[in-house]
Amino acid sequence: MAAQSLSAVDAAVPASTAGVTSARRNRRGSRAERLAPLVLLAPAILIIVGLRLWPLVLGVNFSFTGDGDRNGVAVGLDNYLTLLGDPLFRTALRNVGLLVLLLPVAVAIPGLLATFIYLKVPGHRLYRGVYFFPAVLSPVIVGAIFNLLLAFDGPLNALLGGLGLGPVDWLGDPDVAIFAVVGVHVWATFGMALVVFLAGFATLDSSLLDAAKVDGASLTQTIWHVIIPSLSRTIQFVFVTTMIGMLTSMFGLVYVMTSGGPEGSTYLPEYYVWIQQGQLNQPALASAASTVLFLIMLVVGLAQVAVLRRAGKEE
Amino acid sequence: MPKLPRWFVAIPMAVLALATIYPLVFTTNVAMKTRREYVLDRFSPADSLSWANIVKAWTSVGMSRYFLNSVIVVACSVALLLLLGSMAGFALARLRFRGSSALFLGILAALFIPFQVIMVPLTRIMADTGLVDTYPGLVLAYVAQFLPFTIFLLTSYYSTVPAEIVDAARIDGNTVYGVYWRIMLPIGAPALLSVGVLNALFCWNDVLISLLMMPSAEHRTLMVGVTSLRGQYSDDIPTFASGVLIAAVPVLVVYLFLQRQIADGVTAGSTKG
Repeated sequence: MAAQSLSAVDAAVPASTAGVTSARRNRRGSRAERLAPLVLLAPAILIIVGLRLWPLVLGVNFSFTGDGDRNGVAVGLDNYLTLLGDPLFRTALRNVGLLVLLLPVAVAIPGLLATFIYLKVPGHRLYRGVYFFPAVLSPVIVGAIFNLLLAFDGPLNALLGGLGLGPVDWLGDPDVAIFAVVGVHVWATFGMALVVFLAGFATLDSSLLDAAKVDGASLTQTIWHVIIPSLSRTIQFVFVTTMIGMLTSMFGLVYVMTSGGPEGSTYLPEYYVWIQQGQLNQPALASAASTVLFLIMLVVGLAQVAVLRRAGKEE
Repeated sequence: MPKLPRWFVAIPMAVLALATIYPLVFTTNVAMKTRREYVLDRFSPADSLSWANIVKAWTSVGMSRYFLNSVIVVACSVALLLLLGSMAGFALARLRFRGSSALFLGILAALFIPFQVIMVPLTRIMADTGLVDTYPGLVLAYVAQFLPFTIFLLTSYYSTVPAEIVDAARIDGNTVYGVYWRIMLPIGAPALLSVGVLNALFCWNDVLISLLMMPSAEHRTLMVGVTSLRGQYSDDIPTFASGVLIAAVPVLVVYLFLQRQIADGVTAGSTKG
């Protein structure tokens, strides 16, 4: 890196402009210069510390105090025990488990599509732009549109009816709704991962692929032995960002599509936090749920990095 | 790839592309229909291009007010994010001072604190300082949310600016601030555009932060406005679809012109570091 440059110039400038007055001016100047990093960084640091790090500490502290009559009183682990006993929170955790199980699929789909685009499948120029588009739409818009599409008398059931199937109550059946919501999330965000994969492919050494072709490797062999090892960094990045996306950016979808229903079956931790804080006025309990969500994210992130790092070493 | 698998793959991919576009086409078509037309047949193309629902959603339903709120908040948030982010990014990438790498790591760590985890205490801080339900409050919440990401991207961009350019500007007599204002800001324009567009999308698309920070109806942002339409117009789907369309069209326009910049921002950090 080249952060050494400015201090080198600092030393050079006074030498060339000798003289008492200019020396004094320079000393004053250099004092202002020495403070420059502080001046430039202070607003950012203030905001980040005051509105992100400090609230994190506050929130964890808060989760050990009570709500309502016991506001501000230390209650130990009571909130966490309440969470464990709350069927809605248990459903939220179960749904997180489901997301973890579906994660490989949510990564493999864009990975495979990116591979085909990279290998110049007919129409490859068009697909990137089309697939990426839903990823820039708000979950609210996506959710609102799918409310119409997945309605009991909506287009999807009409299409299935034409094939002699269904109808399925996509958003009204407790066993189906969470899959509908997650499916819409994957539909809306696979373009994001696809673009990241394509950026990874751009760094791929194409002579490796040529060598695989000369050796007569099949498509599966090429993916398994050439593409996956070369892109391990990208794959790791996509795994982590996709999981974080599942845990933190589905609120809009749940809020618009199901409001956590039917029968609480589509609750996710972030939705639970919002309900407890915004609707039921139980901020301490909400803080405990937030802390659990944060721990889940830490564990998931660290576990995935560890697993992928080990897989990378074995290659 | 061999001949047969190419088409074997191309057809599902084309179907998927259609499935990606169809929902928005369907919504646009519904927005153009009258209520009667929609009830009779929701799939047939609208009889005529009728703007009546769009006009209704814009005027009497109040989408224009929500739209304006969103524009104000997004513009202020993005301007502030770019100013503070570029100042910090320049200092971290190009100034030598004690603790700079520790500071950068601290900012990176803040990147991994999701809003959901801090929303309870943050809401309380905002309420205690009287910032709830004010424009500055929501702007500040957005800036706090997206500043770590902005600093991260701009720091890595400024690290690629050759040191000779900075040296030359210093020899020409610029102060550190002069280097920032006259050299770094113009040189950083492509990165500022990319980060700016991405931040604009994040803020425009947000619903959770806005729901918490702007509870009153007159301060609703567009996305919160769309969610409130859902209950109100559940028996008038064409008007509902029009509201959705009003919220989606600005994003579509931005996407058509700045797709590459958006993708650049999304992929930064995926291949290096």
